[in-house]
Amino acid sequence: MDCRKAEEEMTGPGTMDMPLIRLSDVSKVYHLESGDFTALNHVSLDIQENEFVAIMGPSGSGKSTIMNQLGILDVPTSGKLLIDGRDVATMSNLERTHMRRDVIGYIFQKFYLIPLLSAYENVEYPLILKYKKRDTTGKAREVLRSVGFDENMSAHRPNQLSGGQQQRVAIARALVNDPKILLCDEPTGNLDRKTGFAIMDILIGLHKEGKTVILVTHDPKIAEYAHRTIELEDGRIVGS
Amino acid sequence: MRDIFLDLSIRSVRLNFLRSLLASIGIVIGVVAISSMGMLGANMQLSVKEQLSANVNTIMISSDVVRTTSTAGTPITAEGIDKSTLNDIKNAAGQNTVIPVHRTQTQFTIGSTDGRGSVYGLEPNDIPKFLTIDSGTNIKGGSDALVGPNIASNFNLNIGSRIKIGQDNKSVTRPVVRVAGILAARGFASDGINTDNAIIVPDTWYTDHYGDKDLYDQVNVIMQNIDNINQTEAAIDDKVNRRTDVVRIQDASSRLSSISSTLGTITTFIMAIGSISLVVAAVSIFNVMMMSVNERVQEIGILLSIGTEKGEVRRMFLYEAFILGIIGSVVGGICSLVIGYSVVSAMIGNTTYFFLPESIIYVPEGMIIGIVVCVVSGLYPAWKASNMDPIDALRSE
Repeated sequence: MDCRKAEEEMTGPGTMDMPLIRLSDVSKVYHLESGDFTALNHVSLDIQENEFVAIMGPSGSGKSTIMNQLGILDVPTSGKLLIDGRDVATMSNLERTHMRRDVIGYIFQKFYLIPLLSAYENVEYPLILKYKKRDTTGKAREVLRSVGFDENMSAHRPNQLSGGQQQRVAIARALVNDPKILLCDEPTGNLDRKTGFAIMDILIGLHKEGKTVILVTHDPKIAEYAHRTIELEDGRIVGS
Repeated sequence: MRDIFLDLSIRSVRLNFLRSLLASIGIVIGVVAISSMGMLGANMQLSVKEQLSANVNTIMISSDVVRTTSTAGTPITAEGIDKSTLNDIKNAAGQNTVIPVHRTQTQFTIGSTDGRGSVYGLEPNDIPKFLTIDSGTNIKGGSDALVGPNIASNFNLNIGSRIKIGQDNKSVTRPVVRVAGILAARGFASDGINTDNAIIVPDTWYTDHYGDKDLYDQVNVIMQNIDNINQTEAAIDDKVNRRTDVVRIQDASSRLSSISSTLGTITTFIMAIGSISLVVAAVSIFNVMMMSVNERVQEIGILLSIGTEKGEVRRMFLYEAFILGIIGSVVGGICSLVIGYSVVSAMIGNTTYFFLPESIIYVPEGMIIGIVVCVVSGLYPAWKASNMDPIDALRSE
């Protein structure tokens, strides 16, 4: 009995009425010396599997905070956050770590590749985290190829790559463990327009393959790619 | 396949090569200090032990009964050990060699020069059992004698030289012995037979001239196996000192053990001084590890945010400390061998014991201490890295 229940928890409910991500009345308050700062103010939001959602808003509107919640890097001060059917607040530290590794793929504005690892090793790294051994299946190489990364550069360190190449590596790294959710924090923010659109094309392709894509952006042109745009202001959802 | 966290640590050390090298030099110095001090102490102990233990396997038995004398001014001397006591000792000693000794002080004259020294009366067959004849032969004839090296060199004695024994007194003709052999130097012997400045005569010659037949000044028991020395002493004590204390039983092993324990204390002390340098090294390793953590905050943030376990981040930094420790300890170990060897040969002048396990063990010991010090110094930085908040860490530049 317990086993089945646990399995259900792991794989998600699989029912139509349960969204992949559910925020119900989520608040995040930072206790600062100057007083409490409410970054998220009673936010409720459902995101279904295979949605493409853009989150927009001015700086300080709570975009980063909501991304940190969705990425399980932080937990809500109050309210409930369910990701893939699991309540984030009840998870242990290690469970959150494993969830970040297996369910979520992060794509950052500043790429955030590991500087001491080569392009290939950066992509292989999440596989090593998951399987505790080096990749012998060729998966890392295959994913790198799928995002249009020049294979001849795979031994290069991140600082030897262009911004566009780095972002491709970062996307490959985010994808390699087959996450359900892709969290993209201004993925084109550090790229020129042309490269930015190329990256967006990759994300659209991934969405078509079934990934749930959540994208934070300033750029309305980029937000147009999404099916739904959520506008934040002062920690509240003001438009959806 | 190698652990990726080990790879990351190796790359980090390589990236900050100079800094890592400098931190490791601290460990090198610490390991060298501990190992070479330890080896110096061990070599000192071993060489002193050998010098002392040459005749530490000997039980010395002397009479515990004071010889009474009616002549005023005569020094109080011990009564001798008589024949029946000697037989008791022989019975109790079993397989071990029993050597009865006559001894007195005397004047003698060689050529026209007077001298003074000890005269030992020994059964000639006993002599090779504990004394070494450097030149010449053992006593063969009734008036043959062996002389110690000091007498031999002071009086220019050769094989065949004659010595007149006894006080120069014009009215009496003094007995003469012929030098048959010269003994090897013994130094201060812990079996109580100090022959360097002595004349050894056959026991028959001795009793003919000094009396005391079947009455010995000292009886030595040379043990075949030094481990049984206490049992044998107890056996002799049981047999001979049954009712009253007839003999005093002594050996040098207690003195040896007290000297070597003193040396052991000194060794520990100088190693403790050496280990101060390891404390300094630990501080520098700690410093370098904290620098490494602080420089890599963003990288740690990346690692944590994409699903690296805290334990894995900790491991990465502990590997780094371990690598510094390995480098420092290996270099330190090699330097210890070179420096330790030079120090030992300069201060003790004898490197026979250098490669014995008791001495060389300090090299791996120092190396292990060096590595442990490094890893311990890395504990806090590793803990700090693994407990960072990934959001704050990512945000830092």
